[in-house]
Formats: sequence, structure tokens, C-alpha cells
Amino acid sequence: MSKVVIPVGPQHPALKEPVNFRVIADGEKIVQLELDLSYNHRGIEKAAESRDFIRVLPLLERVCGICSHSHATAFAKGIEELMQVTIPPRAQYIRTIVAELERMHSHLLWLGVAAHEVGFNTLFMWTWRDREAVQDMLEEISGNRVHYNMNEIGGVRRDISAGEVASILKRLPVLEERIAEYVKMAAGQKTMLMRFCGVGKLSRAEILKYGAVGPTARASGVDYDTRKDDPYLVYDQIPWKVVTENDGDVYGRTKVRIGELSESLGMVRYCLENLPEGQIRTTAPKAAPSGEILSRYEAPRGELVHFIRTNGTDKAERLDIRTPTLANWTSVAAALVGRNLADIPVIVAAIDPCLSCTSRMTIVDQDKNEQRTLPVASLRPGNTGRKEGGLFS
Amino acid sequence: MSVLTEMFRNLFSRPVTILYPAEKVPVPPGFRGKVTIADEKCIGCSKCSVVCPARCITMTDSPREVEFKGKNLARKKKPRVKLYKCIRCGLCERHCPADAIHLTGEPASCGPSREEVTA
Amino acid sequence: MNDILYLVLYVLVFPGFLFLLGYALFLEFIDRRITARMQHRVGPPWYQPLADFIKLLGKEVIDPAGIDRKIFDAAPLIALAAVMTAFIYVPVIGGSPLAFEGDLVLALYLLAVPTIMLFLLGWLSRNVYAAMGGVRAVTQLFIYEVPFFLALLTPALMAGSWSVSVIAEWQQQHLWFALLQPIGFIVALIGLQAKLERPPFDIPEAETEIVAGPWTELTGRRLAVMHLAEDVALVTGCGLVVALFLGGPLLPWDVGPAWLFGIAGFFIFVAKTLCILLILSAIKAATGRIRIDQLNDVGWKYIASAAILQVAVVFVMMSAGVIS
Repeated sequence: MSKVVIPVGPQHPALKEPVNFRVIADGEKIVQLELDLSYNHRGIEKAAESRDFIRVLPLLERVCGICSHSHATAFAKGIEELMQVTIPPRAQYIRTIVAELERMHSHLLWLGVAAHEVGFNTLFMWTWRDREAVQDMLEEISGNRVHYNMNEIGGVRRDISAGEVASILKRLPVLEERIAEYVKMAAGQKTMLMRFCGVGKLSRAEILKYGAVGPTARASGVDYDTRKDDPYLVYDQIPWKVVTENDGDVYGRTKVRIGELSESLGMVRYCLENLPEGQIRTTAPKAAPSGEILSRYEAPRGELVHFIRTNGTDKAERLDIRTPTLANWTSVAAALVGRNLADIPVIVAAIDPCLSCTSRMTIVDQDKNEQRTLPVASLRPGNTGRKEGGLFS
Repeated sequence: MSVLTEMFRNLFSRPVTILYPAEKVPVPPGFRGKVTIADEKCIGCSKCSVVCPARCITMTDSPREVEFKGKNLARKKKPRVKLYKCIRCGLCERHCPADAIHLTGEPASCGPSREEVTA
Repeated sequence: MNDILYLVLYVLVFPGFLFLLGYALFLEFIDRRITARMQHRVGPPWYQPLADFIKLLGKEVIDPAGIDRKIFDAAPLIALAAVMTAFIYVPVIGGSPLAFEGDLVLALYLLAVPTIMLFLLGWLSRNVYAAMGGVRAVTQLFIYEVPFFLALLTPALMAGSWSVSVIAEWQQQHLWFALLQPIGFIVALIGLQAKLERPPFDIPEAETEIVAGPWTELTGRRLAVMHLAEDVALVTGCGLVVALFLGGPLLPWDVGPAWLFGIAGFFIFVAKTLCILLILSAIKAATGRIRIDQLNDVGWKYIASAAILQVAVVFVMMSAGVIS
């Protein structure tokens, strides 16, 4: 076959959310790749600017369905720092427990999706079955499976009762056993190894050059974790270690994620066993003093950044969210060129992309070196101005 | 190898799938479901309507005598919740001074009549 | 007269086409059920394959712009006809009455027809995913066909006949070929899995890469018939392997009247095909999809060499007079 253009996305079975790759392939080999993002702009940043600090948190949880707690915590943490409010230790522990449970359910979900991308549906079913256990714990703690709504400015909304602590501690060993099983499976499943090893390889230098974050970076030996480098909540008080691997390929990212699963489980267990007594919230002022803050948080997918500017009212004047997926996209594009067509779903899935969270509308024209935003009128259907919006077009 | 053993173990054990309409998953206590309002407790302060992020609570006229902290109050309004718009965040429950609005374990309802989707 | 009536009944009703179609849907159900249970799911009810088939028959047939409608309509039917014809030569209740010297080769060639039809469909549907899938299907055909043919021809070499029924009867007096030629048996199973395009060889229809490959533009009754052809190919393939390697439907000793022998043979056939299906389903559930270049590597380096090794071993065994 001569060179053909294969459109992968915006609607494609490999992608759970819309993104577009225009793959120019020579037979099965990718020779060129054009990436087009931002099909799902939802205007959450703008909407967040019109809501007070009580009402903005449920909105921010809806930036992402998987890391809902991450966005709410990153924002709450930033605002609390601006207000100079210290939340009680029990609230910090509860936030950490929910954050680590969330990381576990996200990584289990990822493991299933990655297996599905190589057609290994059995592992997909098993991990999602075990993920249910984590979701049940979260539901018990927070009252909901997806949007936990645990945060408020100044603490957490719900306490964890002694009964809940006991019931979760009782269910953790089963999960631990399952995670040990996945470690064995990842190392011993031949077809999965064939598809993961050496695929999407990025060296340490490349990771640093493209600014990748999270498990993607840690799989290439970059020892970067916001929880360690800029500790928040109780991460500097509890025992855990940063999981890194030196493979740099999809298999390395799998190992990092499975390693983080057991680290998270250990953290949840430690926090539950050492849950300090006391208040779960302090009274925070209604309005925040004017100021700017950059709140960093280690979401399951990598470093999440919330930039918040306040102006002395009870609303944020500007909120800018940099999701980990945005930081990782460039590394994907770099890893794909020259690879086999069949590697696209694997390499894309390996960064655990969360596309709707990433969608922003800023046009960067590389040739003219200028940056502009779109007027509202051009966002009407049929006039998206998308042609010029692609990151690599 | 662990894949094979687990596969055959599963083959001879009960599947974990829950056949939904026939079986249902028990809901844990504290689940955030359908909103209910205790009419005899509500003092009509509008706080729930103010904090609601989805703006699904409107205040409607409902004059009534209510007992609140040992005193008798004459309330003018009571909240009405559009359940199809509700995101079940529970902020109304959290901020209610009279403990009158609650999220129950019941799942969200849908239906053709207005009564079924308002509380 | 009676002979002709018997032949017509054999071909059209039992164990011919009518039984074949029913059994094909039944095997699909068993396959889906076993896979589901291995994945800890419940799986579909027994009538699901039939329900799917009827539903698809009732669906609208959509013609992609600029296709050749006649070929698009004919290709699934040709595929189905080919695999159904191949089944006539598979012994189900004792040797096939239509058996002739060389029917093994005919059956093998008929089994390759669906893949070629898939390539045609993919190439003609003017869709980049379908074309991609069609090319992959043919590439894969070239890789697995050689070891698969070699593996199925070694029993013929040893039995000294090119007829499936005769080979099955030969095993009645001797040992099963699965025991005599274990390498050939394994290669045949792998080749069958590749032929049926099941994981880890579902490369032509890789869902997450090229949507559905050549199936992408198939709709309505074309899709229904193509699915049925795939199910029938599953039965025919399992039946062939059973006949060639597991002694077919024949008992190692003679029992009573002919009708009892036939009934016993039928149940043996069902039991043995289900065993083969269990192995195929287990492979399907335990593996992910490999890449076409990896299949090329594995196929030519290991599977083809194993098949050739088996042929060599058979020659040595025959010249040494191990099997008379």
C-alpha cells in the first residue's frame, strides 16, 4: 500500500473521548502524525469565576470524572493558603485517604483500559471488577461513587466513623492480594509483554525536554512527584516512597502504576489506622484576600496545577487549570512517529489521557509566534476555527 | 500462568455480575440520593437555594407556623427542588440551619409528571 | 432410491445444513458463555446468537457510496456456501457418505474462502479501515496457512489417504493422531485460531486500531450472513481437527447395529468439538492481540518450523516402521 491518511478520531473505538490524530501511514508504519485537541471545550474555568467558594467546588469536581477529588482539593488547598487557614489534622488525613483511594481506582481503571487496547479483555474485566471494591469504599466514605464532594474550604464535609474505618480495613487485604496478582500477571502475560515492552519508549532526556509528568515521567526514571517535592496534606508525615522504573516504555508505565497501587494501599491503611481525633473543619472566612497562587497537586495522572487569582471577594477572579494530560501530550506525539499503526492505542492509552479535562481554547500560531483566544461568535456551530487550532498542524 | 489458573477458577465459581433489575446493590448508609424536605421543620430561610450549585432549588410561597429552637416562627416560603436538575452534592443538607432538607438513600427518580421530579 | 433420499437428508437436514446452522449458533453461544465465565461475567442466554442473527436480518442494509453492490451482496453468501460445503466432508455420525479421495484438500481450500471474501469486502468498501483490515487479513492468511496445511496433511501422510473419513477410520485401528503427532496437533489448533481470526490473531478486525477491519462497512443481512459464515467455519474447523487428530466420531470398537453406532458417534462428535472449543476459548480469553509484524515473526520462525519438524518426524516414523 502507498501512503494513506488514516483518521483516528474524533470518534474511534480506541478513544473514549474526542481527539483527532491524522495519521499518515506507509502500510502499517506511521510516517507523520497530526494532533488536534480541544473538541470538548466546556467553559468550566469561566463558569468557576462566577461562583462563590462554596458553590465552585462541586463544579470543579466535574472537570474530571476520574480525578474529581484532585481538582477540588487542588482548588481548596490554594484558597486555604490564600486565606491562611490551616485545616485540622483529621481533615487532612481524610483528604489523603480519599485522594489515595481515588488514585487506586484510577490506576485500576487504567490497567483495564490498557489491556483492552491490546485486545486482552479478560484483564480488563478483572481489574474493573476489583475497582468496584475501591468504589464501594469511596461510596461508603463519601456517599457517592464518582463525585465525592468531600472538600470544603476549611476542611472536609464528612467524618469517617469508627465503623467505616473497620469495614474498610477489613476489605483492604483482599485488594492487596489482587494487586499482588496483577504484579505477577504483568510480568508473566506473554502477549501483553509483546505489546508493551519497547513500545512508546522515551528516554529520561526526552521526558525532561517535553515536560511529561506523573507515571509517564516516573517510568523513565524521572524521580518527580509533587507529593514528595512539594508536600501537601500529610504526605510528609506518612511512610511511602516514589515508584520509579527505568524502562521508559509502556511496560515501565504499567509497572509504575501497579507499584503505586500498592503504595496507595499502604498509605490508606496507615491513614486509617492513625486517624487523629479532633475537628474535621475550621470556620473559614467567606472571602479571600486578593492575591495569586499556584496550587500543585499530584493527581493520578500526574501533576495538576490550579492557578487562582482572587480579588478580595468570595469568587475567584481567574482560574486556570493545567491538567496532567496536557503536559503529557507532546511526549505521545514524539513517541508515535516511526512506530507501527497498531501501537497508537497502546501509546495513547499509556499516558491515561483525560481529554475533556484538557480542552482549552487558546490558539498558538507557531509560525507567527502569536497567541490569541477566540471570540464567542466563532465558537458557534460550523465556525469552530479548528483548522488553525491544532497543536501540530 | 496466573492468568490461566484464575480463568479456570472463575469458570467454576459464581459470576460477580449483578443482573440489575432482578438484583440490586445495597446502598450504604449516608448515600446521597433523592432530596426530601421535612415540611414541619423548614423555616424558609432560603439558604439551600443560595448554596445550590445547580440552581435547582426555588423558593415558593407556603406560609406556615414552624417551631425552631423553642420559638415559634411564621415562615413565608418553602423550597422546591427540581430533581432532574439536582446534582446531589448535598450542600443544601450541609448548610440547612433547621435540619429540614435531606438526601435519602433512594435513587433519583424520573417520571412523566411534575410531582415525580420535584420535592 | 433410498440411497438418494438418504443422501439428500444427509446433506440438507442431518447432519448436514440444518443441523450445521443450529450447531454453529450453539457453539457461538458456548464460546461466548465460556469466555464470559472465565472473565467472571454471566454471559448471554442460549438464544442470544439466534436473536442477534434475526435482529441483523431485519436491519437496514446500507451501501457505502461507490461500492459494487453485487459483489457486496454476494461475498458473504459465497463465504457461507464455501464453509457449509466443507462441512459435508467432516465425519459426524461415522464416515461421510460423500467422502472421496482428496476431500481433505478440498475442505481446506473451501475454509480459506471466507478470508479471501473478507479481503474483497475490505478492499471494495472504499473505507480506509476496511482496506487496512483486508490487507491484514490476507497477510495473516499467508502466515498461518502454510503451517496449518502442513499440520493437517501429516495425518494424511501417515494414514496414506487424502480423505477425512478414511483418516478418522485409520485412527479407529491405531492411536489418535493427537498422541502420535502432538506437535502437529498444537500447530493445527494455533492455525485454526488464526484462521477463525480469534485473539491473539484478531489482527484484521482489531477493534481499537482499525474499528472493525473489513467488517466496518457490513450492515444488515450482509453482516448477519458473514457472522454465520464465521460460526460455521468454527464448527467445520473444530470438526476437521476432531476428525484428523482425535479419531472423529468413531468408537475404537464396534457396537451393535448401525443406528446405535451413529448415535454414539454423534455424541462423541459433540463432546470432542466442545473440548476443542474449550481450548480455543481459553486461548481467546488468556491472550491479547499481537501485532502483524510480531505474528510474521512468530508464524514463520516457530509455528512453520514446528510444522516442518512434524512432517520430518512423520517421515522418520514411517520409514522406521513405528506405525504399520
